[in-house]
Amino acid sequence: MKNTTMQIRSYRKKRIFMAALVFLMLWPGGSQASERVRYRLKWIFNASVLGDLYADAHGYFTRQGLEVDVKAGGPERDAIMELELGRTEFGVASADQVIRALSKGARLVVLAQLFQVNPLQWIYRPDRIRIRTLKDLKGHRLGVTFGGNDETILRTLLAKAGLSGADVDLFSVRNDFSPFFKKQVHFWPVYRNTQAVFLEAKLEDAGEPKAFFDPAAYGVKFVANSVITSEKIFEKHPGRVRRFMKGLLEGWQAALDEKNAASALELLQRHEKGTPPVLLKKQIHLTGRLVNPDPRIPIGAIDTAAWRQTEAIMIRQGQIDAPVGIENVLMQVLPR
Amino acid sequence: MPFAVKNICVRFPAATRFVFNDLSFHLYAPGFHALFGPSGVGKTTLARVITGDLKPLSGSIDAGTLSTFLYSYNLERLPDWSTVGNHLEKVTPPGRETLRKDLIHIFKLKDCAQKRFSLLSLGQQNRVNLLRYLLQDFDILIMDESLGNVDEPTRESILFKIKEMFPDPYFLYISHNVVEVARFCQSIVILRGSDRTPQSRLISGMDARSGVSPDSRKLEQTMLEIVNASS
Amino acid sequence: MLLHRRIYQFFIVYCLAVAGLMGIKYALSLSDYVIPGPLALWETAKETFGLYFKDVANTLMVAVVGQLLSIALALVLGITGRRATWFGSFIKVAAYNIQAYPIVAIAPIIFILLGDGWISRLLIAAMICYFPLLLSVIGIMSEPVTDIEHFYRVTGRMRWQLEVKIRAFENLNKLTTVIAGSATLAMAGTIVAEFIVADAGIGYAIRVALFQSDLSKILVALFLIGLSLSVYQGLLEGAGMIIKKGWAQKS
Repeated sequence: MKNTTMQIRSYRKKRIFMAALVFLMLWPGGSQASERVRYRLKWIFNASVLGDLYADAHGYFTRQGLEVDVKAGGPERDAIMELELGRTEFGVASADQVIRALSKGARLVVLAQLFQVNPLQWIYRPDRIRIRTLKDLKGHRLGVTFGGNDETILRTLLAKAGLSGADVDLFSVRNDFSPFFKKQVHFWPVYRNTQAVFLEAKLEDAGEPKAFFDPAAYGVKFVANSVITSEKIFEKHPGRVRRFMKGLLEGWQAALDEKNAASALELLQRHEKGTPPVLLKKQIHLTGRLVNPDPRIPIGAIDTAAWRQTEAIMIRQGQIDAPVGIENVLMQVLPR
Repeated sequence: MPFAVKNICVRFPAATRFVFNDLSFHLYAPGFHALFGPSGVGKTTLARVITGDLKPLSGSIDAGTLSTFLYSYNLERLPDWSTVGNHLEKVTPPGRETLRKDLIHIFKLKDCAQKRFSLLSLGQQNRVNLLRYLLQDFDILIMDESLGNVDEPTRESILFKIKEMFPDPYFLYISHNVVEVARFCQSIVILRGSDRTPQSRLISGMDARSGVSPDSRKLEQTMLEIVNASS
Repeated sequence: MLLHRRIYQFFIVYCLAVAGLMGIKYALSLSDYVIPGPLALWETAKETFGLYFKDVANTLMVAVVGQLLSIALALVLGITGRRATWFGSFIKVAAYNIQAYPIVAIAPIIFILLGDGWISRLLIAAMICYFPLLLSVIGIMSEPVTDIEHFYRVTGRMRWQLEVKIRAFENLNKLTTVIAGSATLAMAGTIVAEFIVADAGIGYAIRVALFQSDLSKILVALFLIGLSLSVYQGLLEGAGMIIKKGWAQKS
């Protein structure tokens, strides 16, 4: 009698298990249904990657049948290398990285330009440096990260003004802002939508005047972050690329939409726990102005002229030997 | 002045057995004495108790006015950054330069003076080590196998000279050589182990001196006594 | 002889590593952006060798001074902390705690206080290489050489200077090995410092090359770092042997 009861219980358990297995296999949201891709960002999770995070957190990728592993970037991570090594399917890289990689034989495709305006600008003290024309930079101590994009941009600006490195005092910039705070340097490179917000707040607290120097205002458009994939993926999986870009750019659109301000802020707060919400709001607002400065231009639009200018600057500064034919890899993929 | 070990109890931490359990003995006069017994019976431990390096659980050392106790053993080394001669010079107290020269001669170490310690033979090393102790002030010198690896004639002449030159302090000579302790020592403290009663026995030795031929019958008898007492 | 051996051993290791990279490059058909080809590497070497050589020399100079500083620091702390006293244990705890903080967290503070000059590099280099030295010195200095020390102790001749001398002499091989080994750490420490806070030296050059994702420059820099380190370690070992020989012969 006892044995029979046990057999019945065991049979029931098996049936429940089998039913659960079939249910999981047929479930549309199950792992079988969506395609898995990896997406390596350029930088750590902050306001500059808000749209990427938003697309992931609010199901924009899932709705495209994609399960995207959004991976934080950092100074030691390089999406282009990871693409070549097959460790990611999509990534974010700056224009100079893309051009340099192309000059060294990498086979890449640029799918979208996330920032229409380069967030890399300079904060300065207008009471110490008055800048009306580029020539006004002459004789001043200017902060620059040697080897970084800001060096390339600054040297281009100086050349445009007919100045050389000898006409100014270039000061090597590190992660630390103390030389600027200590007033050793009055012209310091910052990311306008992230670091600059903190700096502004501090200067405001101290009652110090501040202004921003945007190279684009002086005709230097050096393209910043763009979405890339490998030529192979672009050719072999056009559907996957299209769906990824649709999810991503719709995610960015939604993240910067005023209607979603609260959820965007809540998402950013998850990753920047110690930052006051008022500063995060400001960061989101500024990110929106850099990503979508003109509502007539869709988010992600590739500014071919700016890419050509970036390529030309790099040739002039000896960073690449010859043109890489940048137009050939700019494959705008905007949501239909 | 007599030297007495009184009711010493020693047990090492975590050990179940006592090394000494109420060990007592007396030495009545300075001179050349021996500590004898099988390996592991506690000769070195007793030496450390006498010099004050090891505190017994109970009991005491009654040494009267004797105050300077030295313990030397046969594994000691001199640093190799200098020659043996230099080292000996440096550790010679003022006024004992002649004593050092005499001892170097007696110990047959003249050829070793310009050498580094590590280049000497084991026997030479032991003689150098003992020599530097003899240059110091001491009331009791414990010599733990201090003449190991020294050939018999040299050892004999050294022991005779020590007895002649240092009549005032106590020497406690630790050796496993029954002939040697029986012949040269004034008295022999036989350590028998904490599980035996009595734990030690004191036997008179022949206390041989230079120029006096040994009485072989008496020597045999003393040796027999030592063997019997320690077995 | 040691110097010669160290250099050719380094050449073997470097060539094997580069050959391995080339193997991966061609097996996976990677572009020059990911792993530069032999020609690109050669061209970069020709362009940057002179410049990087000066940078490495600059780094090595700071590393040598930093190492000397850390040897002095480790000796002072090791000798002071060798005894089982309250002060000895305090020294050990303080030294261990300082080591527990990652240098990348401390470096910005050093930079704020001391700027991005050579003093910051020196300090960071010394901080990175002093700890293993300190551990060895404490280990050596707190371990009695009983067979030698016994006589000096029982005859009342032992002074701390003699104790240190005996223990150092008896462990000279160990000390030489640790000091030669710590040269690697001093160099690594200087490079890390340059990478984080300085604006000179090969670490700084590597940082700039990383900005430009230029692996060929990094490979040239690594070659020069390895080469200079091999020479420096070889010289240190040679110096250790000479000191030991001299010490042993001095009467």
